[in-house]
Amino acid sequence: MATTFGDTLVAIDVKNLYAAYQRQPVLENINLQFPAGKWTAIVGPNGAGKSTLFHVLTGSMKALRGSVQAFGEPITTHRKAGHIAYMAQREAIEWDFPVSVWETVMGGRYGHMRNDPLWRRLLPARWYHPRHGEAVHRALEAVDMLALAKRPIGALSGGQKKRVLLARTLAQQANILLLDEPLAGVDPPSERLILDVLAREREAGRTVIMVTHDMPGARRHVDHVVLINRFIRGVGAPDEMLSDAKLAELAVSSTEQSVYDMAADKASSFTVAQG
Amino acid sequence: MAELMATLGLFGDALVSGLIAAIMVIVNLFPASISDAFQYAFMQRALLTSVLVGAICGILSCYVVLKRWSLLGDAISHAVLPGVAIAYLLGWPFFIGAFITGALTSVGIGAIERHTRIKSDAAMGLMFTGAFALGIVIISKIASSTHLMHILFGNVLGVQQSALLLTLVASVIALLVVWLAYRPLLLYAFDPQQAQALGFNTSVIHYGLILLLTLTIVASLETVGIILVVAMLITPGATAHLLTDRFKTMMLISVGVGVSSAVIGLWLSVVLDVASGGTIVLVATSCFFIALLFSPKHGVVMRQWRRWRMG
Repeated sequence: MATTFGDTLVAIDVKNLYAAYQRQPVLENINLQFPAGKWTAIVGPNGAGKSTLFHVLTGSMKALRGSVQAFGEPITTHRKAGHIAYMAQREAIEWDFPVSVWETVMGGRYGHMRNDPLWRRLLPARWYHPRHGEAVHRALEAVDMLALAKRPIGALSGGQKKRVLLARTLAQQANILLLDEPLAGVDPPSERLILDVLAREREAGRTVIMVTHDMPGARRHVDHVVLINRFIRGVGAPDEMLSDAKLAELAVSSTEQSVYDMAADKASSFTVAQG
Repeated sequence: MAELMATLGLFGDALVSGLIAAIMVIVNLFPASISDAFQYAFMQRALLTSVLVGAICGILSCYVVLKRWSLLGDAISHAVLPGVAIAYLLGWPFFIGAFITGALTSVGIGAIERHTRIKSDAAMGLMFTGAFALGIVIISKIASSTHLMHILFGNVLGVQQSALLLTLVASVIALLVVWLAYRPLLLYAFDPQQAQALGFNTSVIHYGLILLLTLTIVASLETVGIILVVAMLITPGATAHLLTDRFKTMMLISVGVGVSSAVIGLWLSVVLDVASGGTIVLVATSCFFIALLFSPKHGVVMRQWRRWRMG
């Protein structure tokens, strides 16, 4: 039975999660519920374990302990059904790879193609089922990249690359969207466009979860905020969680860690967003 | 069972004869000065083997280059040696032994990388040289040094019908797998984390690709040998990568480079009376340098030309 969050359904339910890299704890005792159909921002300093949390949710990293459920079922079931879309950071992608914008976005459809009969899968996707091509077309339209569909991904600007990655997540038509810093390093028009697209996804009833450092954007748009720095440092409404006092507290929260981790944290910086 | 094998053998022989006949039709279009060399049965077998090896190495090399697996390919090719030796001792098909030691080595490399502070290049270096040394020791005990030379550097002119059949089967399997698993393989090579998020079993894809690599290496054993096969697994893909920004085109160019360098190299080695494996690799390397200089988009010449025109 799926749990509820107040009066809304819980999309992702993380219980008692621990994760580590090379025996260095990155996430400890994480108990988190992401409300369905809402837009959640995950905020924390660099090295706080935000991306690690996403790696656990997408299955590319194994947790030491704990469980993750989506709509009351193991999250793997939902991954296999293509319900969970993931947008990586720009640095995680090999931009030299010889694929076009269209082919990259079509990658978001590969999960769904497993449900197509085998003989069809041996043909180019566009021919055998128009719905894949249509989904890609609509996703590219949404991020205003249709004109560049044939361009190799290596020839795109920074903001365009972000938009292509977003289009790939949209093309999947998943009901949970995980976005790792979708707004990092993009120009203001791209940022506006990305926020608008995500707002529309939320209006369509999808659960949007993003890691972000963009406080003004988060304050304006999201419904729910999670503060994280190895432990959960706060969960609640944006105006409460993103208050200057709360963010300052989060920024110094690393002092509560053991001396052992201090060196690693010094390298990272976290600036409380101005205005 | 024996009957089935005999039937399959007959079928294989017929298929080989058919393929050779088809290739000879093309060869005979060339002037006699070139086609004369291919009138002997051993040359025809060598030619067909070279074409097959050039083709599957060309396909696999796209993945090797894009996935940055060049060193891993080198490691697996060396690690195959003890497997081949043990299989020879036990009278098994080469492929089984080769696959076992190749896979064990790649698993070992992964384990050292994950559980110790040793980095991946050192892990690969120490694992494959160890396996290679074991292979050399076993072979020195059971076979002559010419035999060892043939495994290490290939002996395409001495390819037997059985080895040719093995290469043929390996090529067909590799081709089928790449066709059937085209999308998962592409996605895994491009963005493994995305593949994982979409619910693909990435460890199956990972070890599947390693299995394909091993299969290709074993298939190339007789042609270029396990030392030079690494070149055939890197050079065609690297050449193609300089020439296109489309994955399918890259595969076609890579296969083209693989097949043409295998055929031209074979012919040159006979005409010049030099080692075939080495000649094949040198032709492939020449293709790479030509692409490096003259590629329309990423070539040195065109880049200089553009700079000159701009400035």
